[in-house]
Amino acid sequence: MTAPTRGQRKPVVLLRPVPGDTVIHRMWAGTKLLSVAGIGVLLTFYPGWAPIAAVGVLVLVTARLAHIPRGALPSIPFFLWILIVLGGALAALAGGSPFIDIGSVQIGLGGLLNYLRITALAIVLLGLGALVSWTTNIADIAPAVATLGRPLRVLRVPVHDWAVTIALALRAFPMLIDEFRTLYAAHRLRPVEPAETFRARRRQRVANLVDLLAAAVTVALRRGDEMGDAITARGGAGQFSAAPSGPRARDWIAFAVLVLVCGTALALELTVLPTSLPRR
Amino acid sequence: MTAIPPATTPRRGLTPGELAQAAVMAALCAATAIIAVVVPFAAGLSVLGTVPMGLLAYRYRLRVLLAATVAAGIIAFLIAGMGGLMTVVDCAYIGGLTGVIKRRGRGTAMAFGASIVAGALFGAAAVVALSVLSRLRNLVFDSLTASIEGLAKVLERIPVLDVAAEPLRTTVATMLDYWPLLMLVLGIFTISSISMVGWWALSRILARLLGVPDVHKLDADEADDSAAIAPVPARLTDVRFRYPGIDHDALGPVSMELQPGEHVAVTGPNGSGKTTLMLMLAGRQPTSGSIERAGAVGLGRIGGTAVVMQHPESQVLGTRVADDVVWGLPVGATADVERLLAEVGLDGLAERDTGGLSGGELQRLAVAAALARDPSLLIADEVTSMVDQQGRDTLMNVLSGLTDHHDMSLVHITHYNDEADSADRTVQLSGNGGTADNTDMVQTSAVPVSDAAATHHGAPVLELTGVGHEYASGTPWAKTALRDITFTVNEGDGVLVHGLNGSGKSTLAWIMAGLTVPTYGACLLDGVPVSQQVGAVAISFQAARLQLMRSTVGHEIASAAGFSRHDNDRISGALEMVGLDAALAQRRIDQLSGGQMRRVVLAGLLARSPRALILDEPLAGLDAASQRGLLRLLEDLRHNNGLTVVVISHDFTGLENLCPRTLHLHRGELALAPTTAGGAR
Repeated sequence: MTAPTRGQRKPVVLLRPVPGDTVIHRMWAGTKLLSVAGIGVLLTFYPGWAPIAAVGVLVLVTARLAHIPRGALPSIPFFLWILIVLGGALAALAGGSPFIDIGSVQIGLGGLLNYLRITALAIVLLGLGALVSWTTNIADIAPAVATLGRPLRVLRVPVHDWAVTIALALRAFPMLIDEFRTLYAAHRLRPVEPAETFRARRRQRVANLVDLLAAAVTVALRRGDEMGDAITARGGAGQFSAAPSGPRARDWIAFAVLVLVCGTALALELTVLPTSLPRR
Repeated sequence: MTAIPPATTPRRGLTPGELAQAAVMAALCAATAIIAVVVPFAAGLSVLGTVPMGLLAYRYRLRVLLAATVAAGIIAFLIAGMGGLMTVVDCAYIGGLTGVIKRRGRGTAMAFGASIVAGALFGAAAVVALSVLSRLRNLVFDSLTASIEGLAKVLERIPVLDVAAEPLRTTVATMLDYWPLLMLVLGIFTISSISMVGWWALSRILARLLGVPDVHKLDADEADDSAAIAPVPARLTDVRFRYPGIDHDALGPVSMELQPGEHVAVTGPNGSGKTTLMLMLAGRQPTSGSIERAGAVGLGRIGGTAVVMQHPESQVLGTRVADDVVWGLPVGATADVERLLAEVGLDGLAERDTGGLSGGELQRLAVAAALARDPSLLIADEVTSMVDQQGRDTLMNVLSGLTDHHDMSLVHITHYNDEADSADRTVQLSGNGGTADNTDMVQTSAVPVSDAAATHHGAPVLELTGVGHEYASGTPWAKTALRDITFTVNEGDGVLVHGLNGSGKSTLAWIMAGLTVPTYGACLLDGVPVSQQVGAVAISFQAARLQLMRSTVGHEIASAAGFSRHDNDRISGALEMVGLDAALAQRRIDQLSGGQMRRVVLAGLLARSPRALILDEPLAGLDAASQRGLLRLLEDLRHNNGLTVVVISHDFTGLENLCPRTLHLHRGELALAPTTAGGAR
């Protein structure tokens, strides 16, 4: 076979776990969701270097355990690199404490450090979310939400309805994406309508957008009607998962590790390495 | 779209229809939010996410919107992280607001006022959040200050712009000093402007949706738990049914009996009321006549009535095979999943994702789910019409064995003659509507022998050399769809590309139309890669509705063909070419039948005189008369106008004249001889 055609960007693969059957893949989906939520709360309250680094290490170790290959990472467009470097350069110019002396030149690292910290925070949070979608079968999400939300039933929160909606939305999502691909392809096949003035072009673009959106909504409505029929044919919503959903021994170990790592990082942040307090 | 259901229904939980619409709109909103977050410079698209949410708030109760928000939020979070979740929440907040105002029938002024208040509340919430998250606030503000300081330092070095440096510093510093006020103003500004765009879009969309028919058919059984469930034996006496607002009966008069353990086939052309009869049996009240049953219908209940319908993908509700079998069973009920799957020939697939199943497998799975309820009556409504030949045979084997192994009656509605043969008896519906002459049935035909030796003298149009395609190339999800495909389509050719589900035939169609760039090899149109001339090769997709974007037939054809929408002569000409009446130009797209939709798509495509026409499953879902008419039209166009035609299909019936040459695609490769299940490789 000839060499692959060049210039194709890596496509984004949605909602499909990286093939494999590692300890992370087998972990209960609820554990993963709770961990991400817990870490998210920790990092939004204490975005210091110690917690960011601790979570970063956790992400890397988990990715290793789950055998995530480098190919799973989406490719980052070139201009994003430029933006990141440009942002760093501007922040570095700002200076500020702490200062280091190189020879006779004193350089303030404050701005750069802040920039690096906020970038690291964003990357770590993205990595966390990516890990969940790379290792979780989507069929496990809704049952886990139902189990996790069970305490909320006391407050008359319709957790079961929500879990069913999540399960159905996850089922409908790939089908809708497929239909949108076709819709967009059909749009590409059409000739560009001639428009002389800027206003005419703009009006045309708006009309096209409304048409595409109306077609998308029509498709979705139809899909919803058919799905509603299928639910009615099954006598309404009841069970939606054949396997029981709950934590097992490995999940408690994972929780223990998580609490230990995050607790240590938080303790460091609050005592010896406070980096998220105002520096003024 | 139907009338708006009352905002407060006595039921507390979500009804099946509400659940389904919430789920679908959640998926739509999540998709928009994800694109807005993930694709660079597409953030503006997030505004469109307000439309599905607004629609939900307009049509249903608030708890439906809430369920959709939770579902969309979780999906967006799984794919796009926190940004996706926040986008969904914003869309639901704004969409919900506009939808409720729209439902109350208020105008733009009211919407604007409400959005200001909503914006202020949003800003206040942001202020509270940032006050609590003081460390995060410091980090963000410090980084922002640093970037501005850096920018100011750069500006100071540039001769003309140096004056701007100091004002920039002070302005930003002042703004950050008064950050709560800034947040409030920002909240009001963004929420009200997005609301106004969302309001405008929702109004436009709602106006367009007026003609969309509600295709939902089944209504939930009136929960009458006291009555014993026994749908058979049933006796129908002079049953007629007329849909509200229609001037003729959709069904009847029909009289028939249904005994326990019977396998009854119901046949008849489109429009004869086959599906309406299914509705009657599934519990809907007839307009006149009577239905006597031994007990309650018990739709979807254990021991009651089970229904399997036409569209394979919509029948299956679980994302994993085993989950789908138990889907909807009452809590506490158990089902022997392995045994049920074995009965329909899906043993060992319990852990598979339903997304990877073929149409035939999906339908068998739906039958397994129906059997999990141990039904007394199973109604199969045109279950094979969207399934390939091999899948159809397997599915028919499963269905015809059911009444022997189970204590149940089977009503099989079909428009295939040979499928009716396995039944104990056949009920023929003639239909007294407008389609009474349309009574012939679809025949299925055997696989023809490959005729690669046929000679063609036309100049080559499409040349494929060593074409291979791999999806998600370079990732762990890589999947090869096509391998080393080489063939040529000549001017005036008629080629049938035949293959089963998953053979890569749709990928091949997309490559030939230039919509997909193949990973390996080249697909040339007149010597130039076809992907550089999208539109030169026309393609008609299987789902014709997706290809019709404008609201009326005339506008649609004008837009697809590139003429002015006022050019009535050319529009009529295009309609005539596909055998449609010119008066149809005024018709709304959503009022067309399946066959008419396909012809309108063809009219738009052919009006551009394409170099070749690719048809993906052109006959799927059409009844016998529409199939024959469409085939005759295509044959005429090929013979008289020299149109080059490539048909992609899993069926052969009637295509011999249109496509003298057949290529067999098997697991992504061209096979020399016809292959059957588990064949060559």
